[in-house]
Amino acid sequence: MVSLARTIRNLRRVGFREWWRQMQYIGDAKSGRFVGSDQFNNRYYENMNAEEEIPGRQRWVDFSQHEYNASQVPPEWHSWLQHIRKDAPPQDPIFAKVSPPWKAPHIENLTGTRGAYKPYNTVKPKISAWEPQVKARA
Amino acid sequence: MSFARIVGLQPRILVAATRHTPANSILARRLISTSTCAHAEHNLQSNPNEKLRPVHPSATQYDAQSLEEDPYKRGPSAIDKAVHLFFLTEIFRGMWIVMENFFRPPYTIMYPFEKGPLSPRFRGEHALRRYPSGEERCIACKLCEAICPAQAITIESETREDGSRKTSKYDIDMTKCIYCGFCQEACPVDAIVETQNQEFATETREELLYNKEKLLAIGDRAEAEIAANLQADHVYR
Repeated sequence: MVSLARTIRNLRRVGFREWWRQMQYIGDAKSGRFVGSDQFNNRYYENMNAEEEIPGRQRWVDFSQHEYNASQVPPEWHSWLQHIRKDAPPQDPIFAKVSPPWKAPHIENLTGTRGAYKPYNTVKPKISAWEPQVKARA
Repeated sequence: MSFARIVGLQPRILVAATRHTPANSILARRLISTSTCAHAEHNLQSNPNEKLRPVHPSATQYDAQSLEEDPYKRGPSAIDKAVHLFFLTEIFRGMWIVMENFFRPPYTIMYPFEKGPLSPRFRGEHALRRYPSGEERCIACKLCEAICPAQAITIESETREDGSRKTSKYDIDMTKCIYCGFCQEACPVDAIVETQNQEFATETREELLYNKEKLLAIGDRAEAEIAANLQADHVYR
């Protein structure tokens, strides 16, 4: 909670239910413009008012999962969230142009789970164990 | 010499008064985002018309009559300096900055919900790209392997059905990588790039030994972001 006045102001704007959710997750009452949501139902907000949000806190995400993780944000929204792109992905002209048909679905960082990446060799191993060829005895 | 000049608060209050449109808003709140750079600085050149003092006072300068000029002529007088010294004005200026920040909102970014700004040139997790047709870009020229200062890249090549070359093995040891970005600069076909993803921390070391399939999968997921970053940066390349 940053300040009491700010908390009360944002509580009155977003309502008690949303405020409670924010306090459970973000840990601070925030209010802003709803920008959009991605395919995982993460919701993205923006408040560019310099009187209300300091730089770095102007864009934020409300994760849909309880077990939230920074890598659950897909790349397009990630570049909006980190201020790499000015416009949100639905409005961004470049994203509309360069999304190829072979684009793979986004996967979060699965480390520590059974889906974690395990490295493997993509070529034939150079050293192989001796496999003796024994002629059948007559 | 006014009190404010002695204490050293004058430029702040003047700047605050001129920036905000209401004339008598000396007490207007300064925000981090809207205030000018607040480096600690001596209040010697409060008058912008005043000429800059010579950088090296020892370098002798001569006036029109070829007489030696006093290098300290335009600087503060000895009394000025003595006043600043004995009234501990630097201490009070520093304490004033501390007090200003005490009443400001904290500069805490609530990660992972909020994140700080990042450059399109940020060098994070690597990715191998494809052409828009879906064909792998990498031609196994091994320039990235040669330039890699940490020797984190291992490449083996093979011949494709049409006779061209491609990689059969493209391993990056992300624990060796120093994220210098030389590989993406060396690449002639923009195949290996560093994405803006920095959240690929793992629990075990072996998960950071990326092979070709993993790098291609990262590229397939982040292609739109990579292409947008290259497009944003292409005028500087």
